[in-house]
Formats: sequence, structure tokens, C-alpha cells
Amino acid sequence: MAADNLPSEFDVIILGTGLTESVIAAACSRVGLRVLHLDRRNYYAGNWASFTFNGLLSWIEEYKAQQQTPSTTSEQGWNDQIEDEEEVVFLSSVDSSISNLEVFSYASDKSEDDELLNSPVVGSLPKAAEEMNGCHKEAQDLGSSSACTQGDGDPHNLEVKNQDSCLSEESKKTDQQPIRSPEQAVEVKKKITYAMLLKEGRRFNIDLMSKLLYSRGLLVDLLIKSNVSRYAEFKNISCILTCHNGKVEQVPCSRADVFGSKQLTVVEKRMLMKFLTFCLDFEQHQEEFKDFTEIPFLEFLKCKNLTENLQHFILHSIAMVSQDSPTINGLKATQHFLRCLGRYGNTPFLFPLYGLGEIPQCFCRMCAVFGGIYCLRHSVQCLVVDKESGKCKAVIDTHGQRISCSHFVVEDSYIRDDQRMQTTYKKISRAVVITDRSILPSQSDHQISLVTVPPLEPSSPAVRMVELSSFSMTCMPGTYLVHLTCSSSGSAHEDLAPVVSRLFHVPSSCTEESIQGSEENEKPVVLWAMYFNMRDTSGFENSSYNLPSNVHVCTGPDDSLGSDYSINLAELVFHQLLPDEEFCPPAPNPEDIIYDGDQGEGAIFEGDSQKEEAVIEGEDGSQAHKQHGATCSSEPAESTDSIGHEILTEYDIQSPPLGNSP
Amino acid sequence: MEDYDYLFKIVLIGNAGVGKTCLVRRFTQGLFPPGQGATIGVDFMIKTVEIKGVKVKLQIWDTAGQERFRSITQSYYRSANALILTYDITCEDSFRCLPEWLREIEQYANNQVVTILVGNKIDLAEKREVHRQRAEEFAEAQSMLYLETSAKESDNVEKLFLDLACVLIREAKQNTLDNNESAPMPGEDPSLPPLLGSWMLS
Ligand SMILES: Cc1cc2nc3c(=O)[nH]c(=O)nc-3n(C[C@H](O)[C@H](O)[C@H](O)COP(=O)(O)OP(=O)(O)OC[C@H]3O[C@@H](n4cnc5c(N)ncnc54)[C@H](O)[C@@H]3O)c2cc1C
Ligand SMILES: Nc1nc2c(ncn2[C@@H]2O[C@H](COP(=O)(O)OP(=O)(O)O)[C@@H](O)[C@H]2O)c(=O)[nH]1
Ligand SMILES: [Mg+2]
Repeated sequence: MAADNLPSEFDVIILGTGLTESVIAAACSRVGLRVLHLDRRNYYAGNWASFTFNGLLSWIEEYKAQQQTPSTTSEQGWNDQIEDEEEVVFLSSVDSSISNLEVFSYASDKSEDDELLNSPVVGSLPKAAEEMNGCHKEAQDLGSSSACTQGDGDPHNLEVKNQDSCLSEESKKTDQQPIRSPEQAVEVKKKITYAMLLKEGRRFNIDLMSKLLYSRGLLVDLLIKSNVSRYAEFKNISCILTCHNGKVEQVPCSRADVFGSKQLTVVEKRMLMKFLTFCLDFEQHQEEFKDFTEIPFLEFLKCKNLTENLQHFILHSIAMVSQDSPTINGLKATQHFLRCLGRYGNTPFLFPLYGLGEIPQCFCRMCAVFGGIYCLRHSVQCLVVDKESGKCKAVIDTHGQRISCSHFVVEDSYIRDDQRMQTTYKKISRAVVITDRSILPSQSDHQISLVTVPPLEPSSPAVRMVELSSFSMTCMPGTYLVHLTCSSSGSAHEDLAPVVSRLFHVPSSCTEESIQGSEENEKPVVLWAMYFNMRDTSGFENSSYNLPSNVHVCTGPDDSLGSDYSINLAELVFHQLLPDEEFCPPAPNPEDIIYDGDQGEGAIFEGDSQKEEAVIEGEDGSQAHKQHGATCSSEPAESTDSIGHEILTEYDIQSPPLGNSP
Repeated sequence: MEDYDYLFKIVLIGNAGVGKTCLVRRFTQGLFPPGQGATIGVDFMIKTVEIKGVKVKLQIWDTAGQERFRSITQSYYRSANALILTYDITCEDSFRCLPEWLREIEQYANNQVVTILVGNKIDLAEKREVHRQRAEEFAEAQSMLYLETSAKESDNVEKLFLDLACVLIREAKQNTLDNNESAPMPGEDPSLPPLLGSWMLS
């Protein structure tokens, strides 16, 4: 590939390809700005990225390498490009937004290859390590079950730690006593081995961040409005579950669910319908809740005489708010949930095929289609700031090239600590678990489920879990990909491992694994698990950074289920750049521009002025949007108010997909 | 209202400058664009062709320039029915990059994707750097179809897309047959995109 140089002047330079940055890129490019969009990684979407299984292992390796060798950056090639009236502001060359990464592999491996010898890999607890040692003995004695070894230097067995938790002595010992894996004695159903995970690795699309799309949320609205939706496909979440009284239960949310529900009494059904109907337009019934607005939602639910069952469903699975959040928030969240029902199926949520990581890429494609220039594995060393105006007028990229710009948009993880006003963060705890079956045994295997797990103990966090089947194109057939997310109170492992062991069978010892048909084995078996924390910068504002006024920092992702935070931020930044421009107007539909060329070959474009107008040549990108605006039909207007009622009165009426179908 | 029997998504890849955009425009619009300048704001092009009475709508996607710095999004490859991997016969380098492109295809494209290797710019015969035989052997080794074209002179451009359409129709017919005969073959991909069960939002 030619060592092409980047152009030396842009209107906007955007660093980072997460959702917010990508939406800003698309929006700017769409209205004619010259956009340069960079990312230091070799993949799109930053902390929104999704990886194949093998890709994820490389990502883990990279993390480990970064923890071990503090980066030695040689910042060069900029001094001679800086004038007297300019100063430089350095960016950070390391990404420290991920921490506490731990990996556990339990999938057995019958490979002959010593290198592939396998698992389970022990966690950080010395106790677990002791158990493991015991387990080794048993494995040897019995000679029948798969060995438990901790291979060294093998990527799938690695246990990655950050500085504040270190490998225990015991588990190091385990390291040194690898035991060859004898053949598995009993084999009931086809077992997924580690080698299979590797071999079928490309079928996985494992998201770093786990979110769903509210079918009437800002992201879905934006996808449709901008026509970016044409780059992706979605499935609807097929069921909403909750962990209740130690069991996994289905949450009745639509009218059909409520009436079809077996776990609700007739009285409860009436109660729930009445309450949900009230929530749909609760603003109209001030008298019902005005004394409660700031009082915890749970108190309000109790006052409404809802049974404990119903309180659980509404609080944890429908509103999805914490026990102590005020009633007004609970009502708004319930209303939003209900309004999202029925637009695309019977739950309020959609999930993109191939994973959430597709979405930022779709916006990047839109940006590129309108002339934006893309360059991965390419970053910025420093900003060039004009001393007098205090504005950023250019950047020096990692190749030492000076590129001028009027605005600079950057993801938070590129900012150095000395540019921050505060250096304490919230964190998100994440776990990614690959299992061998669905959490709901009766499920057909085409499902995507959202499972809400209320705090297991009063002090622990509420966890949300998304279980994806292979039909979501995010995992190989025969496996399920489970994402757990909560706002951190401890490390990801501390926060989430208790939930994982409650809901899944974690093969902590080998003997246990070989017992078939025990109650434990009814639960999905964990084949592989990863825990990590991600920094949550969503509380920061531009004033939280000591940076020039035309530098805009993109924070997030936040820990909520939807993406409204990131879309709101993108729109806000866009309007700081361009107060008078429309945010992501619809891109022209190619089918409106291009015709069927029945005429055969020949210069049919010449003389056909109408069509010539529609296809716009690149020399003058700034004109593009004006002309296109006219060729596009805009979104059919829809009255949101009527929608909710529709759901409750005639729940099975699907609102048709928006936009003009081709 | 929709007047076609099949719809296929065809995606072009290959180094910058090999003539991908020209091939698409030659086929869909019948012209060879004089200036450089990419087409701004056009996402994909549509052309409906008729083959033995079967109407086939081809949706042809170009890279949007993201190949210039090796930054094509993975999502570009998803759900493509066919890939046109293009190099420039007058540019050895564009040929040498092919294995890299194949790796990307293997990672992100559907298993069943039909791939055709295209050597473009045969009107510049005197500047040829990659011998036809070499390219044919390479294509065969990778089980790809092979064709040489000139977007400028309109050589083989029509043939390229019509041949692809024929192959895709054959495969589609085969697939429906297979599906009707219930059980998929061992090793068959049971996780093909469930197109009917998924939502296109627009
Ligand atoms: C215009 C439209 C498009 C839809 N597209 C999808 C989709 O792509 N994926 C999906 O999972 N669900 C889609 N649905 C929803 C789907 O109908 C229901 O979620 C589910 O199939 C419930 O089936 P049913 O037997 O209750 O409905 P039915 O009684 O079978 O259908 C209700 C109405 O929707 C129409 N319809 C049903 N399915 C589709 C479809 N796939 N495309 C177009 N019209 C359809 C029917 O003609 C009927 O008018 C769509 C619904 C509508 C109205
Ligand atoms: N002589 C000749 N030039 C071509 C041909 N196809 C494309 N070109 C030229 O090659 C250059 C790059 O073409 P383009 O379609 O933009 O390549 P892309 O980057 O792969 O999309 C342009 O200058 C075209 O005019 C061809 O068949 N013959
Ligand atoms: Mg091109």
C-alpha cells in the first residue's frame, strides 16, 4: 500500500472511533466539513469494539504487555514545526481506561499439543488455588476427568492482573505442575473444547461494552433519521428475564405477556395492567404521585399495594432503577420502557447483528461516504496551541506531520492526567462469559435475552446481563455469549463473580465437572470467562479538562443500558462546532439517485441533467449536503402519544418499520 | 412494486487506485469518469439485470475511500454475497497486497461469499507488470474466479457482473434446495444470517 501522506489541512480532526466520536464524524462530514478521523488502535470503535475470539485474545495480550512495560514514548519531530507564538499540549500515548483484567478458561482440551493444555485457570484467590491443587491430585487419582492445569505463556490460559492484585504464590505453584490431560471419560453431549473456540473464533463478535438499543431511544431514532441504519441489521431481544427468589423468571411486560403469565394471579394481572396503564401517561395523573416525586420509587410501589412479585418486576426489570431512586425517575423509566414496546417486536429492545461494535463503524462509513478520511493505527502526539487566542490550530501526528484544523475532537482516554481537573473516576464492571447452553432451558435457541439481577446482597450492585445466542452472529453455534455489566463497587471480579457462580456452573473442581445430571449441571457451564473494569468518564464535562476551547472531549460509554448519553453528547459537540447546521440529516437513498441502466453502455449521464445533479462529484464536498437535502424524503411523522395506548389496547399491532422501504 | 427475483450485495475491495470506482461506474452508469475525485455521498449503486428471464438486482458497494489507509470497517464485509477483489495489472504492488486482502475476507466476510479476482486496466497492456498466468494460478489456488477488465475501454466489465450474477443465482437456487431438504450437510454453516428474522430499520 502506498505510503500515502495525509492532507495537511482539515476542518475537524477527530481522534478515537468510539460511538460519540463516530457520530460526530458522520454529522460533520455529512454537512460538508473536511473530516480526518484517526484511531491509534488497529481496530474501530475503541471501548465499543467487538472482537473475534482470537482478536480478543490479542487484545488481552496487548493489555498485559502494556501493564508490564510502561510505555516509552519518544516524542519527536515536532520541535522544529512549532513557531514562537505557539505552544504544545501533549496527549497521552497509553490507554489506561481498562483495568483489573482477569481471564479464566474452563473449556477442556484434548489436544495432543502441550501448548494447548488447559484450564481451569485459577482466579486471584489463594483459596481457589488451593482447591485447584487438590483438584490436580484428584484428577490424577481418578485419571478420568480433564486435567486442571495452568499453562504458562499460553494466551488462553493467561491470567492478567494489574498492579493492585497480584498472582498468589499458590497459583504460581500450580503453574509449575502442569498435568497432561487424560481423555474425558464420559461424554454426554458434544463438548465444546478450547480448540473449537479458537478454530471457530471468527464466529465470535465479543463486545467490550454491552448495551441494547431502546426501540424509541435516541440511537435508533438517529440511525433511522440519518439512514445509517442501512449498514446494519438488528434482532429484537426476545425475552426479558429476572433473577427472583433464586430462580430465573420471565418478566411480563406486554399485555399479552401479562395475561399469558403463569406466575401471576388474576388479581396481580389486573393490578399490573392498571399500574402500567397509569405509567404510560403518568404526567396526566399528578394527584397519584405528586407527594412521592422525591421519595424512593419502591415506597411508591408499596403504597400502590402492588405485591412483592410485582414490585420486583417493575423496579428491577421494567424501570430498571435502584431501590432508592426517586419515584419521578422510576415513573419516567417505566414510561420509556412501555413506549418502546411493540415498535419492533414484543420487547422494547433491539440488538445489532454482529454486535454493538458495528454501530460506530456504520457511522464511520457514513462519514467516509461524504468524504471523511480514515486512518487507523495513527494518532496525534500533541496539539499546537496559539498562545494568543488559546486555540488549537493544528496537531502533530505520530509520524511527525503537522496537520491544521479548526476543531479537535478527542476521546477521553487520549487525554493526559495533567490536563484533567479531577482524576477520580467511576468505573464499570464487565464480565464476558461463554457458556454451553441458555440460562432458560426451555428456550428455543434463537433468542437474545436480557436478564436483570437485583443486588444479591444489600451492599452489592444490581447487575444486568445479556445472553446472546449464535443467531445474533456473536458466538459460534453450540455456545452462548453472556455479557454482565454493573456500575463498579469493587473490581469486576468482585462485583460479578458471585452472580456468575449463582447463575452458571463454574467448574471449580474437576470431579464436579464430570458428574453428569446433577443439579449443578442443569445450569449452563462456563467455558471461558473474562472480567475487567472500564473507566466511566460520563460524569465529566468539558470544564473538567484544562484544554483549549476548540478541543472537545468525548466521555463515556456510561453504564446505562441504552446509548442516549453518547448520542446526546455527540449532538451537543456537533452544535458547538456548527450551531446552525442540522444534525445528521438523511443521506440520500442511492436508489433515488441511481437508475437501472437498461440503456446499456454509453454516456447516458450526459444530457440527463436531473440525474447528474443527484450524483455529486467530490471536488466540492461542501456543496453536497445542500443538494442532497432536496432529494430525500424525510421521516414520516409519528405521534408518540398514541403509541403507548396502542400497545396496551392492541398489543400485537406492530408499528411498521419507519422510513420508506425500497 | 419490487420488480426483481433476486437481490445480491456485491462489495469491491483492493488497493486504492486500482480502478474499483471506475468499474462500478462503468457498469452502472456506462461511463468512465474523467477526473479523479471520488463520488461524494453515494453509498452503493444499483443495477437490475435480466439473465435468462430472471431479474436480478445488484447492489454494488464501493469502499468509500477507506482502503487508502488500510482502514476498511469490518461491517463493510457483512452480508455481502460476492466480493470483487481488484488489482491493477500495471502495478505489481497491488497484486502483492492480495494475500493481505484475503486475510481480511477470511476474518470478516461470510463463509459462503463468492470471490472473484479482477485484474483491471488491460488497456495499458504495454505497462503490464503482472502476467495473466501468474494471476490465474493465484486465483485458482485460492479458489477464486478470475477475470481481466478495462473500465476505461469497457472490456469485460459487463461480463464481470453478469458472470457474478449467474454464479449467485446458481448458489441461491442450490441453497433453497438444500434448505428444503431439511437437514443441513455436516459442516454446513447453520448460522447464516437469519435474514428473514432480522430487522432492517429502514
Ligand atoms: C411491516 C412489518 C415488517 C416486519 N418485519 C419484521 C422483521 O423483519 N423481522 C421480525 O422479526 N419481525 C418483523 N415484523 C414483526 C413480526 O410480524 C412479528 O414480530 C412476529 O412475526 C409476530 O408474528 P405474528 O404471527 O404475531 O404476526 P402476523 O399476524 O404474522 O403478522 C402481523 C402483520 O405483520 C405483517 N408481517 C409479519 N411479518 C412480516 C415481515 N417479516 N415483513 C413484513 N411484514 C410482516 C403481516 O403481513 C401482518 O400484516 C414485522 C411486522 C410488520 C408489520
Ligand atoms: N487506463 C486505465 N485507467 C483506469 C482504469 N480503471 C481506472 N483507471 C484509472 O485509475 C485511477 C484510479 O481509479 P479509481 O476507480 O478511482 O480507483 P479506486 O481507488 O480503486 O476506486 C483513475 O485515474 C482512473 O482513471 C482502466 O481500466 N484503464
Ligand atoms: Mg474508489
